[in-house]
Amino acid sequence: MSEANNNKTVQQKLSELSELVTWFQSPAFALEEAVTKFKAAETLAEEIEKDLTKLKNDIKVVKKRFDTEE
Amino acid sequence: MENVQLTVSDFVALVNQTLEYAYPTVTVTGEVAEFRVSQGKWVSFKLKDDGALVDCFMPAYSLRIPIEDGMKVVVVAAPRISPKWGKFSLNIRAVKPVGEGSIKKGFELLKAKLEAEGLFAPERKRPLPRVPSRVAVITSTESAAYADFCKIVNERWGGMDIEVAHTQVQGDPAADQIIRAIKYFNNLEQLPEVLVIVRGGGSAEDLMTFNDELLAREIAGSRIPTLVGVGHEVDHTLADMVADRRAATPTNAAEILVPDRREIIRGAHQQATSLGHQLVQAIDQYSVRTRDQLEAAYRRIRERLDDSFERLATLRLAVAQLNPDTVLQRGYALLRGDVAVGKAIEIETHTTVITAEVHDVRSK
Repeated sequence: MSEANNNKTVQQKLSELSELVTWFQSPAFALEEAVTKFKAAETLAEEIEKDLTKLKNDIKVVKKRFDTEE
Repeated sequence: MENVQLTVSDFVALVNQTLEYAYPTVTVTGEVAEFRVSQGKWVSFKLKDDGALVDCFMPAYSLRIPIEDGMKVVVVAAPRISPKWGKFSLNIRAVKPVGEGSIKKGFELLKAKLEAEGLFAPERKRPLPRVPSRVAVITSTESAAYADFCKIVNERWGGMDIEVAHTQVQGDPAADQIIRAIKYFNNLEQLPEVLVIVRGGGSAEDLMTFNDELLAREIAGSRIPTLVGVGHEVDHTLADMVADRRAATPTNAAEILVPDRREIIRGAHQQATSLGHQLVQAIDQYSVRTRDQLEAAYRRIRERLDDSFERLATLRLAVAQLNPDTVLQRGYALLRGDVAVGKAIEIETHTTVITAEVHDVRSK
């Protein structure tokens, strides 16, 4: 699960987590699958935390000058 | 020059040359009178004070903020004599209102004009992406507002490519610089997902840049959704009115631009935890249902058993009634043997067994 999640973006992981929440509230809910899905949700939450904590922005100042018409 | 004879054209050209040399540009403050627009192309008015007045002339497209009679303005102009009409005038390069009353008046005039064109209409507003990955920012990179914006954005979210265009954010060249920066981002091959314009607080004159008509139109025409945060909460500029989203301050712009990663993390954990609660609840519900079903089954078995015991008791009673001992107890006797005259028979009562001889046998 965790290895497969490495290639996913935070957005994808958030969407997956939302889908799991929806499944728990849907008629498709089955106790037999619920434990596996709950564990997947916990893993996703941990990975989202890890991913978001380490993300940095790349801020670049444009070299072009705007004080004169080109 | 006294003995030099000049033609009128030469004289006017000489005066204009002298003026251009001595006063290439002048900045003059005064009150507007007799404001007029001819053929939608040319603007003329008189600039006056208590002691004098001067004619002013400019192309209509150079008028960036509407003015009208009675407003106090400052003009940047070149003085010259018109060779054709022989009139001295100021050829205006830039004009802007000065003083709180005139600035407010200019703002209201332009606001009404843009509003009439529908530039502030809510249906024009585009939604900003919830989590952008490419962001363009226009601001002065030397300002405290930019530092605050970066600090808040970096605290709240990461993983974005942010391109920053450094421009002036106050003074005469600022509006044109910002317009060029907007054009620059709008002409990129891969458009940023959102265009942010920020500037910190300042006086009404400092913020006048953001009430420039051409700048307001450029923001309104941007292909990239715009987020404008200028000044403080109480400051309203035309730039933020035409923007897709107004932020009260540069810090607020950062808050609108991206969600707070700490809230997202907290939310993700809360979601996972809530699934745990739901799981426990579901298990409880299953347990209760299973226990109820078992109890129902037990009750049915008990009922069946009770029925069986009842039937057994009835049968036992019936069987007991049929027991020969019971009959003997009631006073009857059991007779065994060959019932013929002279034969011995055995008579059993409840308490005795008697042997007797048959003396007589009759039919009833």
